[in-house]
Amino acid sequence: MTVAWYLVVSALIFCVGAAGVLVRRSPLVILLCLELMLNAGNLALIAFSRMTGTGDGQIFAIIVMVVAACEVVVGLGIIVALYRRRLPIDVDQLRRLHG
Amino acid sequence: MALSFLLWAPLFFALLGALLGRRMAPKVALFGSAVTLGMAIYYIADFDTGKAGLQHVTDTVWIAALGIHYKLGVDGLNLFLLTLTTLLWCVATLYAYFRSWDRPQLFFFFMGLAESAVLGAFLSQDLALFVAFFDLMLVPFYFLIGTWGGRKRVQATTKLVIYTLVGSLLMLAAAIATGVESVGNSGQISFALSDLVRVGLPVGTQEWIFLLFAAAFLVKMPAFPVHGWLPDGYRAMPIPVVAVFSAVLSKVAAYGFIRIVLPLFPQAAVHFQELLLLIALASILYGSIMAFTQTDLRLIVGFSSIAQLGFITLGIFALNPQGTQGALLQMVNHGLVTAALFFIIAVLAARAGGSEDVRDMGGLAFRAPVLAALFLIVALATLAMPGSSNFMGEFYILLGVFESKLVIACVAFTGVVLASVYMLRAYIGAMHNRVGAKVQSRELSLRDGIVVAPLVLVIVAIAVYPQLLLKRQQASAQAAVAQTALLTHQLALPRATAQTAPVLPQGGQTP
Amino acid sequence: MSPTTWAWICLALPLAGCLFNAFVGRHLPGERTAGWIGTLAIGLSFVAAVGAFVALMGHSPDDRTFTSTAWDYADSVGVNAKLTILIDPLSVYMMLVVSGVSALIHLYSCVYVWKDRGFVRYFAYLNFFVFSMLLLVMAGNFVPLIIGWAFVGAASYMLISFWFRRTTATRAGIKAFVINVIGDVGLVLGTYFIVFRGSGSLDFLDTFKHVQAAFPPNDSDLVAGCILLLVGAFAKSAQVPLHTWLPDAMEGPTPVSALIHAATMVTAGVYLIARMHPLFEDATAAADVGTVVGCATLVIAATIALSQTDIKRVIAYSTMSQIGYMIMAVSASAYAAGLFHLFTHAFFKALLFMAAGSIIGAMGGEQSLDKMGGFRRALPFTFACFLAGGLALSAFPLFSGYFSKDDILALIGGEGGWHWILYVLGYLGAFLTALYTFRMIFRAFLGPECKEARELRETGHIAHHEHPFNPETYEEEDTDVGFPGPGHYIAEQQWPMKVAMGTLAIGAIFGGLIQVPFVDDLVNVYLRPDFVNDPTYEKVINGPSDGLVIFGLILSAVIAIGGIALAYVIWVRRPSIAVAFRERFRPLYELSFHKWWFDELYDAVFVRPGATVGRWASNVFERVVIDGLVNGTVSVVRAGSSVVRGAQDGFLRVYAALLLLGLALVALWFLLQST
Repeated sequence: MTVAWYLVVSALIFCVGAAGVLVRRSPLVILLCLELMLNAGNLALIAFSRMTGTGDGQIFAIIVMVVAACEVVVGLGIIVALYRRRLPIDVDQLRRLHG
Repeated sequence: MALSFLLWAPLFFALLGALLGRRMAPKVALFGSAVTLGMAIYYIADFDTGKAGLQHVTDTVWIAALGIHYKLGVDGLNLFLLTLTTLLWCVATLYAYFRSWDRPQLFFFFMGLAESAVLGAFLSQDLALFVAFFDLMLVPFYFLIGTWGGRKRVQATTKLVIYTLVGSLLMLAAAIATGVESVGNSGQISFALSDLVRVGLPVGTQEWIFLLFAAAFLVKMPAFPVHGWLPDGYRAMPIPVVAVFSAVLSKVAAYGFIRIVLPLFPQAAVHFQELLLLIALASILYGSIMAFTQTDLRLIVGFSSIAQLGFITLGIFALNPQGTQGALLQMVNHGLVTAALFFIIAVLAARAGGSEDVRDMGGLAFRAPVLAALFLIVALATLAMPGSSNFMGEFYILLGVFESKLVIACVAFTGVVLASVYMLRAYIGAMHNRVGAKVQSRELSLRDGIVVAPLVLVIVAIAVYPQLLLKRQQASAQAAVAQTALLTHQLALPRATAQTAPVLPQGGQTP
Repeated sequence: MSPTTWAWICLALPLAGCLFNAFVGRHLPGERTAGWIGTLAIGLSFVAAVGAFVALMGHSPDDRTFTSTAWDYADSVGVNAKLTILIDPLSVYMMLVVSGVSALIHLYSCVYVWKDRGFVRYFAYLNFFVFSMLLLVMAGNFVPLIIGWAFVGAASYMLISFWFRRTTATRAGIKAFVINVIGDVGLVLGTYFIVFRGSGSLDFLDTFKHVQAAFPPNDSDLVAGCILLLVGAFAKSAQVPLHTWLPDAMEGPTPVSALIHAATMVTAGVYLIARMHPLFEDATAAADVGTVVGCATLVIAATIALSQTDIKRVIAYSTMSQIGYMIMAVSASAYAAGLFHLFTHAFFKALLFMAAGSIIGAMGGEQSLDKMGGFRRALPFTFACFLAGGLALSAFPLFSGYFSKDDILALIGGEGGWHWILYVLGYLGAFLTALYTFRMIFRAFLGPECKEARELRETGHIAHHEHPFNPETYEEEDTDVGFPGPGHYIAEQQWPMKVAMGTLAIGAIFGGLIQVPFVDDLVNVYLRPDFVNDPTYEKVINGPSDGLVIFGLILSAVIAIGGIALAYVIWVRRPSIAVAFRERFRPLYELSFHKWWFDELYDAVFVRPGATVGRWASNVFERVVIDGLVNGTVSVVRAGSSVVRGAQDGFLRVYAALLLLGLALVALWFLLQST
């Protein structure tokens, strides 16, 4: 079981998450996929931490988790606000902020 | 007395007034402009006529690493331009004093800042300092027009500022290039004009630097065809602002040619002489033709300014002492006359229901003989009727061009005839014939009179004795064009006496 | 006192009068005080001119040239423009004529503009005019000459558009001014050629001294300069082709027409050529141009005067024609003769205008000959003055015009060669002069009485129109503004008019006696010191043989009497002849009546194209090119930015895709770099 396995798993999870962000239309699902991508990154960080033997990767992974949590709070808050205003919960239709 | 007092006094008083609140600001500003005027007159009295070099020099190194000096000096070239600036600002402040403005502290602050910037441009003897003041001049006007202007003021000021800034940017590049290229044997860079003059740049470099400087100055004047900012700009500016803008700022550009371009780039000036003469001629003809098709009085005066500045450019690029003397004299004359015209337009508009269109006026002379008389004097001076100082300016200018390029002089004379046509049309349209529908003719009030009369008095005084200016400008004018006159073989008038031999530069030119 | 001191006093008095009236005139007590003061100023100026004359005569003939400089006007880089006056017989001659006739016209004006609201303004302007004219004739340096030249043009403009509520007056004013500016330009450019390619000094005496050394005869620079000076002279003296302003200038009050457009300003061109005679002697090509133009003008103007109906315009064209004689004379080096005619012309022309003012007054402002008739018994004094002036103008034997016109023609004939054509045309012009002058007099004074004449003769009341009107266009005017004033005056009832006209009449009748052939030669002798170094002048003076002179005198008499007789037959005996003639020779009549279509020509060649170019510049060029430069830049920037903006379309998933793509590319790049 070398580190490479963990990295491959992490890459697979990342790609699944990325694909989800690109393909899904519901902001809630996009948030979930973003979580997937973040966790994939976490996995890679922990794997590398184990590889080098230092604790840096693990500490960084905890910080990433904090950031993810904050971001989800904000994202869910926006989705709830969208729902409250009866706007379509569809990312393709939420296009008003453009150049 | 150091020149820095003259330079910074307007800004100082403007700040003081702004801090003292809305009621004191106009009074302090007026007092400050009067003090500055007094100082400028002192410099005329204290001027040593025989010397060709700078007087009352202030010279300290400002940014040593870049070789930028804080160097100020007075000589024949800028002596009367300083007085013109201070006089016109004093009169414009007086005009503004009698009227109410939104946020007067800011208004008078910007006016003071503008005056200091213009004085700085005239006084500076360092190229980088000149460029700095040249660009600084524009900032207060952006606010003055944008905040207190008339119709479509924001578009007009944006257009004006961007147009002028494009030119200024080109000039900045050229100035930096000049400084860099002129690093002579000492290896030290310096932007002081006296140092730059000593190093002769290679002709190829001179030529493109000349073109960039010319672009900046031609846009400022404005000359045809880069005058696009003028119609909207002049229509939008408040009266005191347009008076000083038209009268003084355009002269900074012309002065820049004489002070900087001709001494530093003589070969390029000779090379491009015909091009610049043709541009000047085109300005004269185009400005005159446009002036007599307009009905808005501001635009008549505006396009006439294009024509008059064309004459001044013509004089400068005759590249001989006669043309330069004429250009210097005409700068002062045109400034006085154009400011007086704008103040008179304000008076006329007040009597025509607020309209500045000549079609709404007519018969205003009827109950206003003093106004009619003053307007007639100013109109006759504008069209350079012999007997006015404008005539002597044009006499010298056209003589200078006659000496170097005969055909251009002959064509330029048609500009003189056209000037009489449009100026008299404007005068008659406003003052004579049947009374316009919205007109209420009444005599000049004391408040209006106290603004216009001093200008008319100065116009008449100079008309009687133009030698006052010519004598003091002579030595510097000859020195400025000495190099170029040498190159075009125009050393002296034919069969002239010893007194007319130009003062050629000897070794290190200025102190 | 020296002549120059007298001259300065003569020059200063009209200026003082002008400034006094301008500043204080409104507050003076009495209705006409400003007028009396103006007249007094000119009267004293005339006295000073006489003083200068006497002082000048006190010196021997070789020593009669004096200069005096007031201050350095503009003395820098080779241009020495000083305010110098030059007092010699020629300038004193002109000073006497100008101040003398002006004084009389001021006196006349005290009545003419009496109730006019602009009374004070009128006298300020008129005094300013006299000051300018004196400056012009006294100038000893090109710059004061040019300044005086322009000032008289400005004064002329101000007085032509004196009644500025009238559109016809203001239009005439601007026309006169613009043509005057063309003349100024000619003068300045001529100065450049003559001075700055020649003598190097703007001073007259220096220039004259060096002209032979500086220029070979008929050198192109000198000829160019002289022709340009002639342009100035023609513009000022209303010679073809720069003459179209003079008839329109009749919009001004009649005394103004008398002073400026008959006696003084229009003679400035004659003075100029006489003053610049050393230059013209050397540039004979230019002098010939002057001679031909003078001759052409005298014939053209005479033909036009035959068909005009406005009485003032007839006299105006007559002025143009007579000045043609003077220009022809001085250009052909017959200086004293030309100046002599200037002197006599000032008298009889001013007299004619004053008398015209009287009859216009009697008609209540109407100026058309068609409406006048039979004033002989209603206006006896005016009639006598018209006769005196008319006989002098027509060169009737023993009147002043007879001797002066004959002097000119004899000297021209005496020059021989192609000048014979001028001689013949000169006499043709004289015939036409007699014809149109007496056409005017007979139509106005003889024949059936018009109703104004009858009313005046029977009741002594002057005709008064209910609604004041513009005599040119007959549109109704708003004289409730106070000008033109409601008063109409005739010489018979006003003593100042009588005194002024009477003095001029005496001059018109007897003025010629100072230069009668074979009897005396006063003008010639007096002016001789000015022209003493002129070989051409000597030749011309002695040119005509005695036989030619006597032949000329007789021919003049015959022509004058013949012309008057023919006029009598046509316009008194059988008026139908005039009508028949008009029908028979319709094209000739149209040519004459439409003033040879010069106005229409200038309109088509200059005015209309100018306006079209202006409109094109304003509507097309300015909008498309100039604004296009600015707006075009703006559009380019807008277009560019809208292209870039396209990338920000608000599509979240596109952003994400681009992000990931970019990330992948960067990773790939780093991967490749590391291998």
